[in-house]
Amino acid sequence: MKIKLKHILLLGITISLAFAINKTTPLYLETPKAWPKPHYDFSKNPLTEEGFQLGRNLFYDPILSRDSTISCASCHLQSTGFTHVDHSLSHGIEGKIGTRNSMTLMNLAWSKSFMWDGGVNHLDVQPLNPITSPVEMGETLNHVVSKLQKTEKYPLLFEKAFGDPKITGQRLLKALSQFELQLVSSNSKYDKVMRKETTFTEQEQNGYKLFKTNCASCHNEPLFTSEKFENNGLAIDTTLNDIGRMKITNKQEDYLRFKVPTLRNVQFTFPYMHDGRFKTLTEVVKHYNSLGNNKRLPKQLAKPMKLSDNERVDLVAFLKTLTDTEFLFDKRFSFPKE
Amino acid sequence: MNNKTRIVFFLVLFFQVALAQEKMDIVFAHLNLTFRDKPLELNKEYVSENKDTLQLTGFKFYISNLKLEYADKTTYSEPDSYYLIDIENPNSCKIPIKKTTSKTISKVSFSVGIDSLTSVSGALEGDLDPTKGMYWAWQSGYINMKLEGRSSSCKTRKNEFQFHIGGYMKPNYAMRKVVLEPKKSNSTVEINVDVAALFSQLELSKINSVMVPGTKAMQIADYSVTMFKTK
Repeated sequence: MKIKLKHILLLGITISLAFAINKTTPLYLETPKAWPKPHYDFSKNPLTEEGFQLGRNLFYDPILSRDSTISCASCHLQSTGFTHVDHSLSHGIEGKIGTRNSMTLMNLAWSKSFMWDGGVNHLDVQPLNPITSPVEMGETLNHVVSKLQKTEKYPLLFEKAFGDPKITGQRLLKALSQFELQLVSSNSKYDKVMRKETTFTEQEQNGYKLFKTNCASCHNEPLFTSEKFENNGLAIDTTLNDIGRMKITNKQEDYLRFKVPTLRNVQFTFPYMHDGRFKTLTEVVKHYNSLGNNKRLPKQLAKPMKLSDNERVDLVAFLKTLTDTEFLFDKRFSFPKE
Repeated sequence: MNNKTRIVFFLVLFFQVALAQEKMDIVFAHLNLTFRDKPLELNKEYVSENKDTLQLTGFKFYISNLKLEYADKTTYSEPDSYYLIDIENPNSCKIPIKKTTSKTISKVSFSVGIDSLTSVSGALEGDLDPTKGMYWAWQSGYINMKLEGRSSSCKTRKNEFQFHIGGYMKPNYAMRKVVLEPKKSNSTVEINVDVAALFSQLELSKINSVMVPGTKAMQIADYSVTMFKTK
């Protein structure tokens, strides 16, 4: 009798333990050498393989949009640095057109704010924008959750990631963050040169020198962004009248200020600028080369660059060393094939 | 009594005490949504002090960090507690207070809305889950209070008015603290939320759409404080 009771107790404890232990595989995000610490607080959203895979499925699933036509990947394609190649402004459901060029998605764990105007304060809540925007996915988070609950696939994936099949807005957003946080690009030729694994060509080396004198004060290494908001001298597009950061802060000084974007993989993230007005890097460099003596410009742009034709070519050659092919073709980030 | 019966006896006793404890320990703070002295109803016509004829189509707000102070100066507080009060969900108007006593309450304090730190903490759960429709997309932050309806005074589309009040950054930090001192000696919490008090300070023909943080939101947040009263 005594032994039996003991056995039953032991069995009970084992079963409850089995339920209590969530069999997830932890993932770690390594900080590349000489990079700052990530800004994202991983303690509130511990990365797991299961969470990452759930996020990946959600990222590529048009179920997030009202008519199941648009997924995150529609405007954020891996092979172009997770932005919308060839579209100055992206289109959402029913062919509706937005007002800004879609941003790249990489090294987001190091970002303090999101969107061109920095209106979003945390990676987790960024997806609320495309999901609810009437010109993007035109949905509500609540309705997306109820659609996911009705599928066969998602309750299983949520259970794997979170221990039970309950689908909530919080879990959905955290899973998307888990996928996006893994999108780290740190293996470009530039990185390899910095790690002394290879060397720049003479042209690239010269371009790097020019970059450091003319561009690096805003596009800070190693992330190639200062995370700040600046007016880079673009005239306002009167068909859009986008006032930039001022829309968020209501401060006059933020008029026409937009977030300084990263330049990693810039070779493939065209078209450029917040409204995608420049198709090529040459046009971008020419824009900066032609600036000068405008009082609204930040001090970094106060003096014209005055690069020669050869120097402009060298600068572009350097920018192309920021291409990270491993990242652009990493199968872990691609469409999840069953 | 042998050992076995003794154990059974104690177990029964233990569960009885535990159950009784449970019953005793949960009381509720009631929020009574009203228009003047009548219970507030959606789509019912009211006339404000400013002679605006109006109907409400929605009313939701957050109560956070509830704190009770008893006559003997002891306190009960719930740090990091957030409740979404929604007229369409009557259960939400009852806030559970754990482990209360029968002592007389001298002061009730809480915040209307969500604090800054919580507003920058990413995706949260329960009443703070963004599925509740109380989180802004294009400019992060919680909507502390949503008050929507119609009034013939509003020369807007379908005569609609919308107040989405929020903002977590200075100088437009729209969370408001409410401190109430019940006149009646009471050990339960009954809070009246009289929407008429807010509308008495507004002229709907002049102000009828506030959906971003800013000075107007700050103004309406100030007005909203006057809705809360105890007996």
